[in-house]
Amino acid sequence: MAKTQNKAHKNGSQKKKGNKSKRNGPTAVAMKQKAPAADNPFETIWSRRKFDILGRKRKGEERRVGLSRSKAIDKRKSTLLKDYERSTKSSVFVDNRIGENNDELGEFDKAVMRSQREHKMKLGKRSKYNLSDGEEDDFGTSALGSFGERDDFEDEVPFDDEDDYGEQNGGKKKSGILRHLNAPNVGEDGTTEAEENIHKSKKEVMQEIILKSKHFKAEKAKEKEENEKLMEELDKKFTSLEQSKVLSSLIEPGKSALKAAVNKIIPKDEDKNNKLLTAKKPEIPSQEQPDYYDKLFSEMVFDIRARPSDRTKTPEEIAQDERERLEQLEEERQKRMVAAEDSSDEDKGDTEMASNQKRQPASGDDLGDSFSVEEPGTRKGWVDEILEREEAEEDDASEAETGEDDEGSEEESDEDARDKAQSLKDWEQSDDENLDTDLEEDDDDDDDDDEKIDDAKKVTEPIGVKRSKKSAVTKPAEVNDETQNAKKNKTTSERRSVQLDIPFLIEAPKSMEELCALIDNRSNSDILVVVNRIRASNAIKLAAENRKKMQIFYGVLLQYFAVLANKKPLNFELLNLLVKPLMEMSLEIPYFSAICARQRILKTRSQFCESIKSQEGSCWPSLKTLSLLRLWSMIFPCSDFRHVVMTPAILLMCEYLMRCPISSARDIAVGSFLCSMVLSITRDSRKFCPEAIIFLRTLLMAASQRLPDSHQESQFHPIRELKELRPLLNIRDDVPEISPVSFLSVMDMPEDSSLFASDNFRASVLITVIENLKGFIEMYGGLSSFPETFLPISTLLLGLAEQGNMPPALQEKAREVALLIKQKADDHHLLRQPLQIRKQKPVPIKLLTPKFEENYVKGRDYDPDRERVERKKLKKELRQEAKGAARELRKDNYFLLDVKARERALREEEKMEAHGKAKAFLQEQESAFKSGQLGKGRKRRR
Amino acid sequence: MVRPFGVKGKKRKRKEKYDRDEEEGEEVAEPTAKEAAVEEEDEKEMVEKEAGTAADEMAGIPIVQIDQQTKKPGVIFVLERASLEVAKVGKTYQILNSDDHANFLKKNNKNPADYRPDIVYQALLSILDSPLNKAGRLRAVYVKTDKGVLFEVKPNVRIPRTYKRFAGIMLQLLQKLSISAAGKREKLLRVIKNPVTQYLPVSSRKIGFSYSSDKLVEMSKYVETVSNDADLVFVVGAMSHGKIDCDYIEDFIAISGYPLSAAWCIARICEALSNKWGVV
Repeated sequence: MAKTQNKAHKNGSQKKKGNKSKRNGPTAVAMKQKAPAADNPFETIWSRRKFDILGRKRKGEERRVGLSRSKAIDKRKSTLLKDYERSTKSSVFVDNRIGENNDELGEFDKAVMRSQREHKMKLGKRSKYNLSDGEEDDFGTSALGSFGERDDFEDEVPFDDEDDYGEQNGGKKKSGILRHLNAPNVGEDGTTEAEENIHKSKKEVMQEIILKSKHFKAEKAKEKEENEKLMEELDKKFTSLEQSKVLSSLIEPGKSALKAAVNKIIPKDEDKNNKLLTAKKPEIPSQEQPDYYDKLFSEMVFDIRARPSDRTKTPEEIAQDERERLEQLEEERQKRMVAAEDSSDEDKGDTEMASNQKRQPASGDDLGDSFSVEEPGTRKGWVDEILEREEAEEDDASEAETGEDDEGSEEESDEDARDKAQSLKDWEQSDDENLDTDLEEDDDDDDDDDEKIDDAKKVTEPIGVKRSKKSAVTKPAEVNDETQNAKKNKTTSERRSVQLDIPFLIEAPKSMEELCALIDNRSNSDILVVVNRIRASNAIKLAAENRKKMQIFYGVLLQYFAVLANKKPLNFELLNLLVKPLMEMSLEIPYFSAICARQRILKTRSQFCESIKSQEGSCWPSLKTLSLLRLWSMIFPCSDFRHVVMTPAILLMCEYLMRCPISSARDIAVGSFLCSMVLSITRDSRKFCPEAIIFLRTLLMAASQRLPDSHQESQFHPIRELKELRPLLNIRDDVPEISPVSFLSVMDMPEDSSLFASDNFRASVLITVIENLKGFIEMYGGLSSFPETFLPISTLLLGLAEQGNMPPALQEKAREVALLIKQKADDHHLLRQPLQIRKQKPVPIKLLTPKFEENYVKGRDYDPDRERVERKKLKKELRQEAKGAARELRKDNYFLLDVKARERALREEEKMEAHGKAKAFLQEQESAFKSGQLGKGRKRRR
Repeated sequence: MVRPFGVKGKKRKRKEKYDRDEEEGEEVAEPTAKEAAVEEEDEKEMVEKEAGTAADEMAGIPIVQIDQQTKKPGVIFVLERASLEVAKVGKTYQILNSDDHANFLKKNNKNPADYRPDIVYQALLSILDSPLNKAGRLRAVYVKTDKGVLFEVKPNVRIPRTYKRFAGIMLQLLQKLSISAAGKREKLLRVIKNPVTQYLPVSSRKIGFSYSSDKLVEMSKYVETVSNDADLVFVVGAMSHGKIDCDYIEDFIAISGYPLSAAWCIARICEALSNKWGVV
């Protein structure tokens, strides 16, 4: 019955397939299997897909809800219904007949199987002697071919009915196990083939082994050959390397013999190798080559790879060397002094001196601008020497005087005492102002004014002129000088003569007196040599205690510098020369030098305050102060925004400019010099110094013909303490030409000198003022207050330019600067913007970045915590399963209810039927009774 | 799934609210009148304080106050017929575009020229990057795809600067139906139910744009005529070919004699509006 149903299904599905116009595979298969006869029209309805996504496979997407529903009902019918039916029964009928378990078999097949089984039972040993019907036997033998042979096996393992069935039907429906068991029966060829295979493989293995060994040997040979080739190549390379000079540089020169030997060996070896290679005896070269190579190699291991060059010396070592050299020289000098007449020594000394000159260590911080050691030496002639001697003598005398001076107040004695003690700060306090004045007085006493002026002039002349002059002086002086060639020797000998009596090792002087004792009566270059030797022999790097010495020496030297600057016949060259050692030393002891400078600035300032209070004489800084300020500006960095020394120094300068009354032309010169110094110092740091600009402006006002009224002035100079401003710089007459004025000469002049009243001087001062102004303008060009600061000056300048008696050069200059100011001011004005009401920038809405995953796949959990994801997944599964189970149960219930309802309905119906029957019977009876058919008598009776 | 899981441990028991605005609205409604008064005072103080600090910065120069309290008319954009379609190309899902998927589309009998998500991208960029949006005058952007999916874009979305990322966002949006902000729970983009008219303000004026319209106007002049109170809804087509046909549009206009790209059209609208409303 099932079979027919199946067939019907198949037919139906085929029809449907035709109708559905090729749906895809799985559904088609499903339809083929299960599509019922399509009585239920709902089963043909397919579920609609809401969102069609291009390219997505439709696996499981499309369903026929009706179909699956009916399928589920069928399934329940076969399982749940059966159970239900069975639930009220106490026993179950199990159909264990042969073939009944197999659904595939038809009734007929089952019957055949049963008969076969019966037949087999009869053929068993026990039933051998059983008499049988003839028909059955015949049938059995004909149907089973070689059955008898396999009797035992069948007995031992009684198979299911299926086996028999399989055997009977031949190859058509054999189960897999049976087929396997039958395999030997089917064909013996297969097994023999297998055995052959095994046999062959043994042979093959042997062959393989042989092949492998052959192959291995061949490979070995090949490798060997390659090795040889490589070796040969290496040899070639090595020889070429050896012939080149690379190796020779590596190998010690002492081992050149060995190298030669090596060289000899190599060609030999090569020949040998070649021969051997041609003779095809590979073992011998491989033995010999390493020998030779190893020998070389081991030698090279012990060789020094590369000899180190001389190590760069540390500063300490350089200092040590210097010191040692000086010691040696000193020794030699001592010797020479003992045996003075030794020409050979002199030569030596010469050469050494030359080397000394050369060896002057140029430090990295060498400015290179100050001087070189040779120059002064060559320039010096004996005239200068004498001159200097005289000066030195004067100094000496003055010094001696001061030393003797009883009238020299307590200060002086104090000073001496302190000089001896020379504590760190002492020398600062023991400023030698008094000493200086004494000196000046002495000078005044000793020398004529004219001489002084001459000297000053000589010093202040431009250097180029000086040099030429000096060379002119030296030429006639050198009488023996005949040839140009000999000249050099001469100069050196001269130098030697000068330097001969300078000891090479000099202990650092601890006081001014000691220094003076050393330096007195020496030329400028000699002084420098002395200073340098002191520094070299007491270098800080040599010993720790030298620092103290050098500090003291630095103080002394600075003091000497200051004294020198205030001397009346100014030794400007020596000042210049001293700058370099001072700078270098302050680099070595920066802290100490800074302290020195600060102390001195403090002192100078207090003196300045004193002098400005007393209001007598000029309170403008002396040449000493000026030169010290210049020195510090060279020593310490000017570009620092704030510096321990430079900031107070600038403040001091500005205070000078601000507070000192301008009473004479000399003051103007000093002031303008200070201005230029301020300019040079602040150029890098771009500090704004209003004092300098105001001072320059005042000077320009002093140059103008009509003085501005006091009101205006006070408006412009609220802070300046102006007493009176005379038209000091007003040019009255025509100036033919403007010659530059030397500042030093001006400093030397007395206040009532005729030069100050001359228009020439005024013009030149004005030129410098305007130049300075230009520098300031360029420096402050970037300040936003530039127009306000400089525009009044520009009007002043224009006014100056329009004045009569103005030299044309000056006019031009003034106009040019005024124009510059105007340009810059215009630039600033252009950039300025009117005052505006501030506008708040509108606040944009806050934007948020959306969060998304790359390559998002629906359904994947993008939680970084994997564990949680797993847990979630499991939970979800559980939930789904629970839901599914609940659904199933619910549906089962519905199904059962349905079944029960149907049963009940059936029962009702039966009951009703029975009831109806009974009722009908009763009614019939009743009617019959009433009609009197039941009892005649009664009816009759009635 | 895309929720940040920075904090481990006990999960906050919190009912996720669909709309943040509602939440805020509730919170605002809560405080009593008294509290509100106190708050007002506080606010005043705050304003004074701010003014004080500003004055400290530069004395004597007052700051121009920007009025942000009053409600101003806003603008809503609707991008119709946006071609955003998800497909499974190979093993991955992708937003179809004419460049990368030309062969795929041809195989599936589609016209590659119709698949232009870059138009939507440009249009969204030009809307959301406009000063109009920065000034807070944009209310929302609605995008309706060719397939009929409608989604809302909040004005405070920062649209990614590269198309690839934009495509990534759209892909996720169309599959997951919402995109939240990074580090926040606020939903920036989300798929909503059709039709779009239920989200448009009642009194708003709906203006559609079409090159084929006979009413050729200059945008700035046209905008001047529109009343100042009502919100404006602009319906722009984000497709390469064709015409938008929506029944809710009140006025169909053309703003250029030439066919404009969606981005340019939007740029014109935004420019005209920012001129009108003084958004600089």
